[in-house]
Amino acid sequence: MAKTISQEFIKGLWTEIPPFRLVLGLCPALAVTKSVENGIGMGLATTFVLLCSNLLVSLLRNIIPPKIRIACFIIIIATFVTVVELMMQAYTYPLYQALGIFIPLIVVNCIVLGRAEAFAFKNPIFPSVADGLGIGVGFTLALGALGAVRELLGSGTLLGHAMFGPGFQPFAFMVEAPGAFVSLGLMLCFMNMLGKR
Amino acid sequence: MGDLLVLVISCIFINNILLAQYLGNCPFLGTSKKMETAIGMAGAVVFVLTMAGIITWLIDVYFLKRLDIEFLRTIAFILVIASLVQFVEMFLKKSIPALYAGLGIFLPLITTNCAVMGVCLINIQEEYSFLQAVVSSLAYAVGFGVALVLFTGIRERIILGRVPKPLQDTSIGLITAGFVALVFIGFQGLV
Amino acid sequence: MRDMIKMVVVLTVLSSLSGGLLAAIKNSTEDRIEGQVLQFVQGPAILKIMEGASNDPISDRFTITAGDEQTNFFVGKYNGTPKVVAFETNAAGYGGPVGIMVAFDVETNKIKSIGVTTHNETPGVGSLVEKDENFKKQFVGLDVTFEPKVNKDGGSIIAMSGATVTSRAVTAAVRKAQVFYEQHQSEIKDKAKSFTG
Repeated sequence: MAKTISQEFIKGLWTEIPPFRLVLGLCPALAVTKSVENGIGMGLATTFVLLCSNLLVSLLRNIIPPKIRIACFIIIIATFVTVVELMMQAYTYPLYQALGIFIPLIVVNCIVLGRAEAFAFKNPIFPSVADGLGIGVGFTLALGALGAVRELLGSGTLLGHAMFGPGFQPFAFMVEAPGAFVSLGLMLCFMNMLGKR
Repeated sequence: MGDLLVLVISCIFINNILLAQYLGNCPFLGTSKKMETAIGMAGAVVFVLTMAGIITWLIDVYFLKRLDIEFLRTIAFILVIASLVQFVEMFLKKSIPALYAGLGIFLPLITTNCAVMGVCLINIQEEYSFLQAVVSSLAYAVGFGVALVLFTGIRERIILGRVPKPLQDTSIGLITAGFVALVFIGFQGLV
Repeated sequence: MRDMIKMVVVLTVLSSLSGGLLAAIKNSTEDRIEGQVLQFVQGPAILKIMEGASNDPISDRFTITAGDEQTNFFVGKYNGTPKVVAFETNAAGYGGPVGIMVAFDVETNKIKSIGVTTHNETPGVGSLVEKDENFKKQFVGLDVTFEPKVNKDGGSIIAMSGATVTSRAVTAAVRKAQVFYEQHQSEIKDKAKSFTG
């Protein structure tokens, strides 16, 4: 573990960026990326949970008995997910509506539990926070990018602003389920072409 | 009776959990390389999802709603699912070893399968009655199995073809899944 | 044995902390969440169909209980007198229930306007109901006793092209509203009058 804190952060943005390099968290990546706004909103909600759970797990790593660590992780993660759920209902209701059941489902997002188990439980606080933040920001960027592609082609808009003239016929396939799978598949292919991990 | 049939068809085909609701995609891509593992996973999901759907419905209606603590739903459900999976694992190991041998390795993976949690939440959100919740959990699970087995059949063939390097593995898998999803769109408006 | 006790203590402390934290957040956000639900789910439709009202129809509301169900009624005042009431009904469309907000003129018992609150119809086909004002205008001015039907069923409402199922759902929802209004007419009028002044 000779990595510096900044390296822990940066790895989440490129070498381990989910869902491209770490093929985890596919469901939200497919479901909520109909638009950039939803993609980024989901990414930020996940980042918050990831950051808080990594921080708390790392803080408590000497107190939690290893035998029941998974149960403790689940309680910690579920608590923060509920916090996000309530906050989004109170302050960004339209986004909460758009993301629907995928907010409570952050709890079963393998990325969050995976980071708690593989990283935060074994590392001190600062690297854990950097790790959580890095992976979270990476996830947010990835969802934003996927959302941009789908929104641009599927609705002809970007962040709600029309990008093409009125003659543009939206490519409705892209906002439906098949488009989600195909565009994520193509983006993965693109990432593979760009470089090895 | 007719209503339940409509519910079954809509849960299996029209709102297929994998291809239309985008739930449970990690095991979908992870266990679809071989028919054997796909059938094992499908079996485990049918088993656990149906049980989880029933138990979480009971907890929500008779416990969370009664006490007016619905905001604790996420925590309650995930804990129920996690302990249910543990319990099922222990039970199968002791009493039905043959079934355990088949499903065993897939059981721990199910805790983080969002299809299970997702269906439990959908049952509550749609305000299903007990009977409807049972039927929808079972039907969604069957839909998961159908899509997974179909998709695995295609994926086993893809391995034989020559796929360009960057497209290999998950990438081509996702694109294929996209076309399977396109087929399932054809079911829309069936009922 | 000591391990066992430690496990139980850690789990208990963690669960109670989580429960306490969430209860506190829940309490402090409750009112805001309720307001947001009204504002974003039904709000836009209400404000649109009550254009020109001199009050805020979302805050001037009353409820009527029929059977187990409570229905929210929104009151629109014109020139100081409560003239219009609106409430929501729904009927099954192509992709699930279509929610319709129907406004009645309490003086003439005629439909003043209708608006769409929620739907999950096919993008580009049934979803056009949101924007298709010409379709919705056909319901304006119908008497509460007049049963609307789409043209395919031998009625006078011209269905949106390619979206007969959605058009039928809207028609059915409006009919439900008419029936409900007729049954509870006196109660609705009494309660609406109490907003005078």
